[in-house]
Amino acid sequence: MINDKELFQKGLKDGIAIGISYVPAAMAISIAAVKQNLPFGEWELMSALLYSSSAQAAILNLISNGATAFFIYILTFSIMNFRHVLFSLSLSQKLDSKVGMFSRVLFAPFNTDEIYSIIMQQTGKVRSSYLLGISIVPYIGQIIGITSGFLFTKSLPESLKSAMGITLYAVFLALVVPPMRKSMQVLIAVVLAGVISWALECIPAVKTSLPAGAPMIICTLLTCTLGAIFMPVSSEDEELEEEMKKSNM
Amino acid sequence: MDSRFLLILSLILFGISCLMRIIPLVFCKGKIKSKFLNSFLYYIPFAVMTSIVIPEVFNSTSSVVSAVSGVVLAVILGLLGQNMLVIAFSSTAVVFIIENFILHLFN
Repeated sequence: MINDKELFQKGLKDGIAIGISYVPAAMAISIAAVKQNLPFGEWELMSALLYSSSAQAAILNLISNGATAFFIYILTFSIMNFRHVLFSLSLSQKLDSKVGMFSRVLFAPFNTDEIYSIIMQQTGKVRSSYLLGISIVPYIGQIIGITSGFLFTKSLPESLKSAMGITLYAVFLALVVPPMRKSMQVLIAVVLAGVISWALECIPAVKTSLPAGAPMIICTLLTCTLGAIFMPVSSEDEELEEEMKKSNM
Repeated sequence: MDSRFLLILSLILFGISCLMRIIPLVFCKGKIKSKFLNSFLYYIPFAVMTSIVIPEVFNSTSSVVSAVSGVVLAVILGLLGQNMLVIAFSSTAVVFIIENFILHLFN
């Protein structure tokens, strides 16, 4: 039986790789935030509270589209983060029965897609000391990325800022494209989502009839519904599950 | 963007985020068996990320030409299995090079 101190250290170590990988993605989002002229303090607070690169990117997308209604933000955010309900659900079975209510409540906000997938790869039940260890470095990495991305971008020349406008999108492409090689279903879903999103935002008659932010929600619901009906994924398909966990932000 | 709007938004979304992550972890013991729901959830990240990228990416830089080049390079590198850091850096670099060196040749 490993003691708590060793478990904590193992968690800390497992968290380092995740933490490092969060820095560039967080920087890229901050660059996009600078582009939207968001104030530093508010952006920092939002990042510290939400701790989700993909959700923050979606929020920036809504801001740039001029969405002002709270419910559009809430709906988008809820749909995007709904997978955490599933993660928490399956995680609840992976935790040791000695992991108490307090530890669970404390850990839950730090449970990201990557942390979740690392925990699920552990053999046997997981204890509190490991959860504490793995939570620390990724969060610090996220904050470092957000802060440096914001401050760094402010002082850059226009030509570089223009080029860095694509960085965030490149990060998303880097998350979406590699799984497409391994799974025909993902490939079809991505192409489908691309076509729907393009149609909703580029056909003038459609675009003007929808409230800001609605295209993303419609595109997501439509793609996922069609995907689930025509290309259901079996939960035994371990490889696909792996790809999905790796590709989440 | 109005900073009060951002503050209130952050707090509301934080509340939702906590509820979604905490409640199932503390109270639920069962596993989701619905194939439809599992598949639906599986496709969410791909659909969301794609809808963020398209069509906004094409207006993300100073010219459509540089943006398209950046996208094409990112997709090729992604298909070759390169990691995120390489893809993000290369794509940004190619946009910078095209905007500052190549496009000037035609103006």
